[in-house]
Amino acid sequence: MSYADTSPAVMSPRARRRRIVRRRFMRRPLAVAGFAVATAFVLAAILAPWIAPYGPGETDFNALLAPPSAQHLLGTDELGRDVLSRIIWGSRASIEAGVMATLLAMLVAVPIGILGGYYRGKVDAVIARVTDVLLAFPFLIVAVGLAAILGPSLTNATIALGIGAAPALIRIARGETLALREEDYVRAAVANGASDGRIILRHVLPNMSSTLIVQATVLIPAAIIGEAVLSFLGLGVQPPTPSWGVMLADAQSYLSEAPRLAIFPGLAIFFCSLSFNLLGDGLRDALDPRTRR
Amino acid sequence: MSLLEVEDLSVRFDTDDGSVHAVDGLSLVLREGEVLGVVGESGCGKSVSFMALLGLLPETAVVTGRATFAGRELLGASSSELRRIRGREIAIVFQEPMTSLNPSFKIGSQIGEVLRRHLGLSNRAARARTIELLQLVRIPAPERRIDEYPHQLSGGMRQRVMIAMALACDPKILVADEPTTALDVTIQAGILDLMRDIRERLGTAIVLITHNLGVVADIADRVIVMYAGRKAEEAPVHELFASPQHPYTNGLLGAVPRPGPTLERRRLLEIPGRVPSLSEPPVACAFAPRCPRADELSRTAVPDLREVRPEHFVACFHPGPDENLAA
Repeated sequence: MSYADTSPAVMSPRARRRRIVRRRFMRRPLAVAGFAVATAFVLAAILAPWIAPYGPGETDFNALLAPPSAQHLLGTDELGRDVLSRIIWGSRASIEAGVMATLLAMLVAVPIGILGGYYRGKVDAVIARVTDVLLAFPFLIVAVGLAAILGPSLTNATIALGIGAAPALIRIARGETLALREEDYVRAAVANGASDGRIILRHVLPNMSSTLIVQATVLIPAAIIGEAVLSFLGLGVQPPTPSWGVMLADAQSYLSEAPRLAIFPGLAIFFCSLSFNLLGDGLRDALDPRTRR
Repeated sequence: MSLLEVEDLSVRFDTDDGSVHAVDGLSLVLREGEVLGVVGESGCGKSVSFMALLGLLPETAVVTGRATFAGRELLGASSSELRRIRGREIAIVFQEPMTSLNPSFKIGSQIGEVLRRHLGLSNRAARARTIELLQLVRIPAPERRIDEYPHQLSGGMRQRVMIAMALACDPKILVADEPTTALDVTIQAGILDLMRDIRERLGTAIVLITHNLGVVADIADRVIVMYAGRKAEEAPVHELFASPQHPYTNGLLGAVPRPGPTLERRRLLEIPGRVPSLSEPPVACAFAPRCPRADELSRTAVPDLREVRPEHFVACFHPGPDENLAA
């Protein structure tokens, strides 16, 4: 972009561009914090067996509903299970649902959106109207409905969340395609004898990738919250498997005696989704080619 | 020998507000290794004609006529046949160099893609050939530029890259649609120089679509002047400038500033009026409303193309050079 930046001329262009994006990102403290916290949650999910002080179902009958102490940093629940350990194990369900649901939504929505936007015509009109109708229902309502039909389990909850998120993504992918297909370089590629498939793979998809990356960081926290909601309602993860939503549901009965049982998983949901949102905001600003420096 | 023969090409766009006749009965011949200038105001159908030949127009366009390229019929060819011809045998360079390259890929990979697709070259061979091509279009330090992204290049450089991409498969015809319009004058000269060089070195026939007579005078062998979708005049370039016959050509020449040895000032002449709307088929000479020579005949009949001098055709009832211009 600018020859005035301080990067050495010997760097490859790709490395230089990456460096500019990284620097723009690093300049935003909230984005960096979001990145750090999100990474911490992902690591906690992966490393749960090694970093959690107790097993997720391990009970200590000497400490039922115990307040925070040296043995149990965040206290224990009504069955004497360590709350910190269950939050760490519970992050697995949340991250898995968040990431897999987003991937599923991308896999379903992006091809449909691109094909509709690229070929236009009757099929596209049907796609556009159907997404409009689906978008009239709130995301969580669709997800709850689908999860209820599919039956309760983490996999089904993930599928429900992924499908529920698809209409919004279809609309985004379709809109981007409509704009990209009019670009001069697409016209030039057609004039150079490129086939439709090649134009889609080389000219349309890569140029919408930053939009899709940003959308992913918006969808992941939405799906994390969605998983908690479904699990809370009994449509997602089934007890005794830990999940933040399940913990919240269990905490209801003890709200007056031990409100911390609801507060700690609530905070986990809050910080986890907030961190992904901040990460997404930072990425959007850093990847936006219109902001130069 | 003629490479491309177009006969009676017509393009009509059917829109909700009625149909528009963008090109009306255009015939032309392009010989091997020849530079043909196609000149006219915006909207006279010069770009549309060539887009139509390559099947690049939207589906609302109705194209009729016949066009033979190297013994093959272009109009009505299947889309896969056209795709093989596009880029490989007839290549196009567009007007907008700033936006005609994909911002997400290095220029080397974009030129290389054409080579791999049309010629089936390996990555290594494609890279070597790409460096050659960048050299051919006189981009300095091609070994380094090949790994740069479009945003790192200037407009003139990008246009050179577009030309390199168009030349990648050694096409027989290069259609350059206003290739210099978006560029600075000094850069324009460089690009024209390059095109002349390409014709001499590779023997590529070039169709130069432009509204700039100066550009045509510089490199074309033959010129077609188009007006309102029809051919107004066609002549070898020297003949056209020495003895313009159509009043429209005269008007265009009058609008070109010409520095002379004398400091005598000559006002630039404008052509009064505007290009007519093309919504109805003509019943009169399309230029008549703007023409100083128009009479009853011009307003009631469409002039046919006549050969007024050897190889010099004009569609006008009152041809001849303009006296005002002679000065």
